[in-house]
Amino acid sequence: TVRPKNEVEHKQLCAFGEYVAEILPKYIQQVQVTCFNELELLIHPDGIIPVLTFLRDHTNAQFKSLADLTAVDVPSRQYRFEIVYNLLSLRFNSRIRVKTYTDELTPVDSAVPVHQAANWYEREVWDMYGVFFANHPDLRRILTDYGFEGHPFRKDFPLSGYVEV
Amino acid sequence: VFMLSLQTTGLVGLAVAENPHERLRILYTKILGVLQNIPKDAAYRKYTEQIVTERFDLVKKETDVQKLQDKLNSGQIEEVIVQAENELSLARKMVQWKPWEPLVEEPPSDQWRWPI
Repeated sequence: TVRPKNEVEHKQLCAFGEYVAEILPKYIQQVQVTCFNELELLIHPDGIIPVLTFLRDHTNAQFKSLADLTAVDVPSRQYRFEIVYNLLSLRFNSRIRVKTYTDELTPVDSAVPVHQAANWYEREVWDMYGVFFANHPDLRRILTDYGFEGHPFRKDFPLSGYVEV
Repeated sequence: VFMLSLQTTGLVGLAVAENPHERLRILYTKILGVLQNIPKDAAYRKYTEQIVTERFDLVKKETDVQKLQDKLNSGQIEEVIVQAENELSLARKMVQWKPWEPLVEEPPSDQWRWPI
Protein backbone atom coordinates (compact mmCIF):
# COMPACT_ATOMS: atom_id res chain seq x y z
CA THR A 1 0.00 0.00 0.00
CA VAL A 2 1.08 3.58 -0.65
CA ARG A 3 0.53 6.56 1.69
CA PRO A 4 -2.23 8.74 0.15
CA LYS A 5 -1.07 12.17 -1.01
CA ASN A 6 -2.45 15.07 1.03
CA GLU A 7 -2.62 17.90 -1.54
CA VAL A 8 -4.28 20.39 0.82
CA GLU A 9 -1.55 20.08 3.44
CA HIS A 10 1.11 20.26 0.71
CA LYS A 11 -0.34 23.54 -0.58
CA GLN A 12 -0.61 24.98 2.93
CA LEU A 13 3.05 24.15 3.64
CA CYS A 14 4.15 25.65 0.30
CA ALA A 15 2.23 28.83 1.12
CA PHE A 16 3.75 29.07 4.60
CA GLY A 17 7.22 28.43 3.18
CA GLU A 18 6.77 31.30 0.72
CA TYR A 19 5.50 33.50 3.55
CA VAL A 20 8.61 32.90 5.67
CA ALA A 21 10.91 33.31 2.65
CA GLU A 22 9.29 36.68 1.91
CA ILE A 23 9.85 37.90 5.47
CA LEU A 24 13.48 36.70 5.84
CA PRO A 25 15.15 36.97 2.41
CA LYS A 26 18.49 37.86 4.03
CA TYR A 27 19.12 34.37 5.39
CA ILE A 28 16.88 31.88 3.58
CA GLN A 29 18.62 30.36 0.56
CA GLN A 30 16.04 27.77 -0.41
CA VAL A 31 12.65 26.43 0.71
CA GLN A 32 11.44 22.96 -0.13
CA VAL A 33 8.50 20.72 0.72
CA THR A 34 9.18 16.99 0.50
CA CYS A 35 6.70 14.56 -1.01
CA PHE A 36 5.86 13.46 2.57
CA ASN A 37 4.68 17.02 3.40
CA GLU A 38 7.73 18.15 5.37
CA LEU A 39 8.69 21.83 5.06
CA GLU A 40 12.44 22.57 5.03
CA LEU A 41 14.14 25.99 5.19
CA LEU A 42 17.76 26.08 3.99
CA ILE A 43 19.59 28.89 5.81
CA HIS A 44 22.90 30.74 5.70
CA PRO A 45 24.74 30.03 9.03
CA ASP A 46 24.65 33.73 10.05
CA GLY A 47 20.87 33.48 10.18
CA ILE A 48 20.44 30.71 12.74
CA ILE A 49 19.45 32.91 15.69
CA PRO A 50 17.26 35.36 13.68
CA VAL A 51 15.38 32.56 11.92
CA LEU A 52 14.89 30.42 15.05
CA THR A 53 13.77 33.46 17.08
CA PHE A 54 11.35 34.46 14.32
CA LEU A 55 9.89 30.95 14.15
CA ARG A 56 9.53 30.86 17.94
CA ASP A 57 8.06 34.32 18.54
CA HIS A 58 6.04 35.29 15.46
CA THR A 59 2.26 34.98 15.84
CA ASN A 60 1.81 33.07 12.56
CA ALA A 61 4.64 30.64 13.36
CA GLN A 62 4.90 29.92 17.14
CA PHE A 63 7.27 26.96 16.78
CA LYS A 64 7.90 26.85 20.52
CA SER A 65 9.30 23.34 20.71
CA LEU A 66 12.74 22.24 19.48
CA ALA A 67 12.19 18.57 18.76
CA ASP A 68 15.66 17.68 17.45
CA LEU A 69 19.09 19.10 16.64
CA THR A 70 21.43 16.94 14.57
CA ALA A 71 24.15 17.12 11.98
CA VAL A 72 24.80 15.31 8.71
CA ASP A 73 28.30 14.69 7.35
CA VAL A 74 28.74 14.83 3.57
CA PRO A 75 32.55 14.82 3.12
CA SER A 76 32.51 15.61 -0.62
CA ARG A 77 31.08 19.10 -0.05
CA GLN A 78 33.08 22.25 0.71
CA TYR A 79 31.01 22.77 3.89
CA ARG A 80 30.79 19.16 4.92
CA PHE A 81 28.47 19.40 7.94
CA GLU A 82 24.78 20.15 7.62
CA ILE A 83 23.15 21.18 10.95
CA VAL A 84 19.45 20.25 11.12
CA TYR A 85 16.89 21.75 13.53
CA ASN A 86 13.42 20.17 13.78
CA LEU A 87 10.78 22.47 15.30
CA LEU A 88 7.21 21.76 16.37
CA SER A 89 4.38 24.28 16.71
CA LEU A 90 1.85 23.23 19.34
CA ARG A 91 -0.57 26.06 18.53
CA PHE A 92 -0.83 25.11 14.83
CA ASN A 93 0.15 21.42 15.08
CA SER A 94 2.83 21.72 12.47
CA ARG A 95 6.49 20.83 12.03
CA ILE A 96 9.31 22.56 10.19
CA ARG A 97 12.95 21.73 9.49
CA VAL A 98 15.72 24.35 9.39
CA LYS A 99 19.08 23.38 7.85
CA THR A 100 22.44 25.22 7.90
CA TYR A 101 25.95 24.32 6.84
CA THR A 102 29.49 24.61 8.16
CA ASP A 103 32.91 23.01 7.78
CA GLU A 104 35.21 21.53 10.45
CA LEU A 105 36.76 24.82 11.54
CA THR A 106 34.02 27.47 11.33
CA PRO A 107 32.02 27.96 14.54
CA VAL A 108 28.24 28.19 14.41
CA ASP A 109 25.99 30.27 16.71
CA SER A 110 24.48 28.26 19.52
CA ALA A 111 20.69 27.91 19.59
CA VAL A 112 20.64 27.78 23.42
CA PRO A 113 19.62 31.48 23.86
CA VAL A 114 16.54 30.69 21.74
CA HIS A 115 15.71 27.13 22.83
CA GLN A 116 17.09 25.80 26.12
CA ALA A 117 16.55 22.27 24.82
CA ALA A 118 19.44 22.74 22.38
CA ASN A 119 21.99 22.46 25.20
CA TRP A 120 22.69 18.71 25.21
CA TYR A 121 21.92 18.31 21.51
CA GLU A 122 24.70 20.76 20.68
CA ARG A 123 27.06 18.96 23.07
CA GLU A 124 26.26 15.76 21.19
CA VAL A 125 26.94 17.37 17.79
CA TRP A 126 30.24 18.76 19.12
CA ASP A 127 31.23 15.38 20.50
CA MET A 128 30.22 13.29 17.51
CA TYR A 129 31.08 15.65 14.60
CA GLY A 130 33.38 18.35 15.93
CA VAL A 131 31.16 21.33 15.10
CA PHE A 132 31.98 24.17 17.51
CA PHE A 133 29.04 26.20 18.88
CA ALA A 134 29.89 29.79 19.84
CA ASN A 135 28.23 31.17 23.01
CA HIS A 136 27.26 27.74 24.24
CA PRO A 137 27.13 27.76 28.08
CA ASP A 138 28.91 24.42 28.57
CA LEU A 139 30.30 22.73 25.44
CA ARG A 140 32.03 19.48 26.40
CA ARG A 141 31.89 15.81 25.49
CA ILE A 142 28.69 13.98 26.37
CA LEU A 143 28.70 10.44 24.91
CA THR A 144 32.35 9.48 24.29
CA ASP A 145 34.75 8.23 26.95
CA TYR A 146 36.77 10.82 28.97
CA GLY A 147 40.06 10.62 27.07
CA PHE A 148 38.53 9.78 23.71
CA GLU A 149 40.14 11.36 20.66
CA GLY A 150 38.29 11.90 17.43
CA HIS A 151 34.74 12.56 16.35
CA PRO A 152 33.02 9.21 15.80
CA PHE A 153 30.11 10.11 13.50
CA ARG A 154 32.34 11.62 10.81
CA LYS A 155 32.43 9.55 7.64
CA ASP A 156 36.24 9.24 7.77
CA PHE A 157 36.20 7.74 11.29
CA PRO A 158 36.53 3.92 11.03
CA LEU A 159 33.71 1.71 12.30
CA SER A 160 35.72 0.00 15.06
CA GLY A 161 37.69 3.13 15.93
CA TYR A 162 41.43 3.63 16.28
CA VAL A 163 41.96 2.07 19.74
CA GLU A 164 41.67 -1.62 20.51
CA VAL A 165 39.33 -2.39 23.45
CA VAL B 1 -14.31 33.42 53.85
CA PHE B 2 -14.36 31.57 50.53
CA MET B 3 -13.66 33.70 47.42
CA LEU B 4 -16.53 33.35 44.98
CA SER B 5 -14.64 34.29 41.82
CA LEU B 6 -11.77 31.77 42.13
CA GLN B 7 -10.32 31.53 38.64
CA THR B 8 -7.47 29.69 37.05
CA THR B 9 -6.06 29.54 33.54
CA GLY B 10 -5.55 25.80 33.79
CA LEU B 11 -1.93 26.27 32.66
CA VAL B 12 1.03 25.88 35.00
CA GLY B 13 2.86 29.11 35.75
CA LEU B 14 0.37 31.38 33.97
CA ALA B 15 -1.63 33.56 36.36
CA VAL B 16 -5.10 34.92 35.59
CA ALA B 17 -4.79 38.39 34.04
CA GLU B 18 -6.87 41.13 35.59
CA ASN B 19 -7.81 43.77 33.00
CA PRO B 20 -6.51 41.92 29.89
CA HIS B 21 -7.97 44.51 27.50
CA GLU B 22 -5.75 47.24 28.95
CA ARG B 23 -2.64 45.05 28.83
CA LEU B 24 -3.31 44.02 25.22
CA ARG B 25 -3.99 47.63 24.24
CA ILE B 26 -0.63 48.71 25.65
CA LEU B 27 1.25 45.82 24.02
CA TYR B 28 -0.30 46.26 20.58
CA THR B 29 0.34 50.00 20.63
CA LYS B 30 3.98 49.34 21.54
CA ILE B 31 4.37 46.79 18.74
CA LEU B 32 2.93 49.20 16.16
CA GLY B 33 5.32 51.85 17.47
CA VAL B 34 8.36 49.59 17.05
CA LEU B 35 7.23 48.60 13.56
CA GLN B 36 7.43 52.25 12.48
CA ASN B 37 11.22 51.90 12.62
CA ILE B 38 11.16 49.31 9.84
CA PRO B 39 11.07 50.34 6.15
CA LYS B 40 7.51 50.46 4.87
CA ASP B 41 8.04 47.93 2.09
CA ALA B 42 9.46 45.18 4.36
CA ALA B 43 7.26 42.06 4.35
CA TYR B 44 7.65 41.62 8.13
CA ARG B 45 6.21 45.07 8.80
CA LYS B 46 3.32 44.51 6.37
CA TYR B 47 2.22 41.16 7.76
CA THR B 48 2.78 41.98 11.43
CA GLU B 49 0.85 45.25 11.12
CA GLN B 50 -1.97 43.29 9.53
CA ILE B 51 -2.06 40.71 12.33
CA VAL B 52 -1.74 43.30 15.11
CA THR B 53 -4.39 45.72 13.77
CA GLU B 54 -6.76 42.80 13.22
CA ARG B 55 -6.37 41.61 16.82
CA PHE B 56 -6.37 45.15 18.18
CA ASP B 57 -9.73 45.87 16.48
CA LEU B 58 -11.20 42.69 17.94
CA VAL B 59 -9.94 43.66 21.42
CA LYS B 60 -11.38 47.17 21.10
CA LYS B 61 -14.80 45.93 19.95
CA GLU B 62 -15.35 42.98 22.27
CA THR B 63 -15.56 43.70 26.01
CA ASP B 64 -16.49 40.22 27.24
CA VAL B 65 -13.37 38.12 27.89
CA GLN B 66 -14.89 34.73 26.97
CA LYS B 67 -16.29 35.99 23.64
CA LEU B 68 -12.98 37.72 22.87
CA GLN B 69 -11.13 34.43 23.42
CA ASP B 70 -13.51 32.67 21.01
CA LYS B 71 -13.17 35.37 18.36
CA LEU B 72 -9.38 35.47 18.52
CA ASN B 73 -9.35 31.66 18.41
CA SER B 74 -5.86 31.51 19.85
CA GLY B 75 -6.23 29.86 23.27
CA GLN B 76 -6.68 31.61 26.61
CA ILE B 77 -6.48 35.40 26.84
CA GLU B 78 -3.37 35.03 29.01
CA GLU B 79 -1.74 33.06 26.18
CA VAL B 80 -2.67 35.87 23.77
CA ILE B 81 -0.95 38.33 26.14
CA VAL B 82 2.20 36.15 26.25
CA GLN B 83 2.15 35.91 22.44
CA ALA B 84 1.88 39.71 22.13
CA GLU B 85 4.87 40.11 24.48
CA ASN B 86 6.85 37.66 22.30
CA GLU B 87 5.89 39.55 19.14
CA LEU B 88 7.05 42.81 20.76
CA SER B 89 10.46 41.38 21.66
CA LEU B 90 10.75 39.89 18.17
CA ALA B 91 9.92 43.23 16.53
CA ARG B 92 12.64 44.95 18.58
CA LYS B 93 15.19 42.33 17.52
CA MET B 94 14.10 42.54 13.86
CA VAL B 95 14.95 46.26 13.87
CA GLN B 96 18.53 45.24 14.77
CA TRP B 97 18.83 42.27 12.39
CA LYS B 98 17.18 43.83 9.30
CA PRO B 99 16.16 40.54 7.65
CA TRP B 100 14.47 42.28 4.68
CA GLU B 101 17.82 42.96 3.03
CA PRO B 102 18.84 40.70 0.11
CA LEU B 103 20.60 37.39 0.65
CA VAL B 104 23.87 37.56 2.64
CA GLU B 105 25.77 34.92 0.67
CA GLU B 106 24.86 32.31 -1.94
CA PRO B 107 25.66 28.72 -0.96
CA PRO B 108 28.20 26.68 -2.99
CA SER B 109 26.40 25.10 -5.96
CA ASP B 110 26.60 21.54 -4.62
CA GLN B 111 25.64 22.41 -1.05
CA TRP B 112 21.94 21.65 -1.16
CA ARG B 113 21.97 19.06 -3.94
CA TRP B 114 20.40 15.78 -2.88
CA PRO B 115 21.17 12.96 -3.84
CA ILE B 116 24.83 14.07 -3.86
